[in-house]
Amino acid sequence: MSVSSNPVRHGLRLGAKHLVYALVAFIFVLPLWWAVVSSLRPNAEVFADIFPFTAKALLPSPASLEAYAGIFERGFGMIIANTLIVALITMATGLVVNGAAGFAFAMFDFKGKKYILTAIIISFMLPFEAIALPLYTVTQQLGWLDNIAALIVPSVANGLAVFLFYQFFSQVPKDYAEAARLDGVSWINILLRIYVPLSMPTCISAALLLFIFQWEAFLWPLLAMPSQQFKVIQVGMATFQQQYQTIWNQLFAVAVITALIPIALLLPLQRYYVQGLAGAGIKG
Amino acid sequence: MTNSRTPVLLIAALLAPALIGLVVFRLYPIALAAGDSFFNVFRGERVFVGLDNYVALLTDSIFWNSLRVTFWFNLLINPIQIALALGLALLYVQQFKGVTFYRILFLIPIGVSLPTAVIIWRIMLSQDGLVNGVLGIAGVPAQPWLTAESLALYSIIAIATWKGISYWMIFIIGGLQNISPEIYDAAKVDGVKPWQQLFYITIPLLRPTLLFVLVADVSINFLLFAPIFMLTQGGPADSTNVLMYEAYKSGFIFGDMGRAMAIIVVVVAILLVIVGLQFRLLSGKGAR
Repeated sequence: MSVSSNPVRHGLRLGAKHLVYALVAFIFVLPLWWAVVSSLRPNAEVFADIFPFTAKALLPSPASLEAYAGIFERGFGMIIANTLIVALITMATGLVVNGAAGFAFAMFDFKGKKYILTAIIISFMLPFEAIALPLYTVTQQLGWLDNIAALIVPSVANGLAVFLFYQFFSQVPKDYAEAARLDGVSWINILLRIYVPLSMPTCISAALLLFIFQWEAFLWPLLAMPSQQFKVIQVGMATFQQQYQTIWNQLFAVAVITALIPIALLLPLQRYYVQGLAGAGIKG
Repeated sequence: MTNSRTPVLLIAALLAPALIGLVVFRLYPIALAAGDSFFNVFRGERVFVGLDNYVALLTDSIFWNSLRVTFWFNLLINPIQIALALGLALLYVQQFKGVTFYRILFLIPIGVSLPTAVIIWRIMLSQDGLVNGVLGIAGVPAQPWLTAESLALYSIIAIATWKGISYWMIFIIGGLQNISPEIYDAAKVDGVKPWQQLFYITIPLLRPTLLFVLVADVSINFLLFAPIFMLTQGGPADSTNVLMYEAYKSGFIFGDMGRAMAIIVVVVAILLVIVGLQFRLLSGKGAR
């Protein structure tokens, strides 16, 4: 912004700017805010103050945690634990598996490397939904239906995560590795001692990616767990919606918890997440 | 790299888990879908039917309607999402006091999963929900956002857009940060207006990033499932019956896996053609 000689005009411009930003932010925040407010109200009060609309609709006037107690009585704690298990195992194994592949692509030249990399990029361009139905048949053949392995194993190898690591490791000067090699350090140690510590931002970015992928998975767990003995959160929420159509405040409480956990992870780490993913679009 | 001592075993060990995973759980299913689409199940027995499942689709009015819905949906949602994501990214990269606060709020939808967003919006868009309440202040009568044939598809577009643009914004931010600030400084010296700067400098230089976002966004929207499953089940009157949902219905509600797989193969084939076209059109046009 050029230095404005007129302080009044400068002030107006700043005000207009904040107005635009606040309006956009309001649209993003409103649904979640309303969900939080409604989850804190007694069920009969959820739709109060909307017709005619008053600002009170956006405040939890008689606030209580009764809805949250209600959903845990209905076994939602178990569902959250299930999802955390699936997401954390996927995240941990995914970091190792995809990081190793990214390292191999970045450090070594070998036949067919270009083709394999292209195939990997295509694999993450093709959303999971495209293969969910045929993957059901594969899972059936493996005998994994209704087994937690069906949720974890197919999601560990992730093309985008491989690509993120590949991209990061390619940027590290080769001198590091070569100097270490001359000193007789093994490749595994080079990876673990030099490259992994350098790649912490990429690790965070990939970890969030894998975690959020599992946390948000819906169609696949719906298909792979037909008996629904082991429920993950998105499916649990959808079933809750069908079963308890009109227990609005509890439905909102479920939605709030489902949203809050990834947001709580994302906000403190947003810098890494944004930087890590932002890089992928440039070369992709 | 010292070529004489390329550690083949090590490379294999590092690559194997990821590659096996991608082959077994990404490539093989696609091959399997193609294979299964040539079979039908009669009284529990798999029978080879050749191209019958595809031929049947040709005269299947439900399929054609579904195809039409899918195309119309994508023609609208993708340009809308990318334009808004670009606008949002331009807001995000500005530097001024207090911008960090807004930046965090812009990222909120990334943490809200699509099913969560759908549930919240479904209640917000209900007859006596918040949206109708707020519109009521302006005297607009309450609208049946999700149950009217003329509105349901557009409501789904709005929900998916609310959820999606923060994510696409991130990639565009990466592209914006890659543009050297000197170009803008030079433009400023030459007296270039802000909108000229956007259309003649920013967007052309962002082309690779926008291409990536476009391709990835189209792929996701072409296969969008959760909102339709949770909100409308393809209705009212099949107005939101996209191909993904039709395939799901065919396979898992009516038990016709052959037809479901044939639809999936058609969807993936169309998607690959669209992605290929986008690459040709956008990387060719005026780039060199």
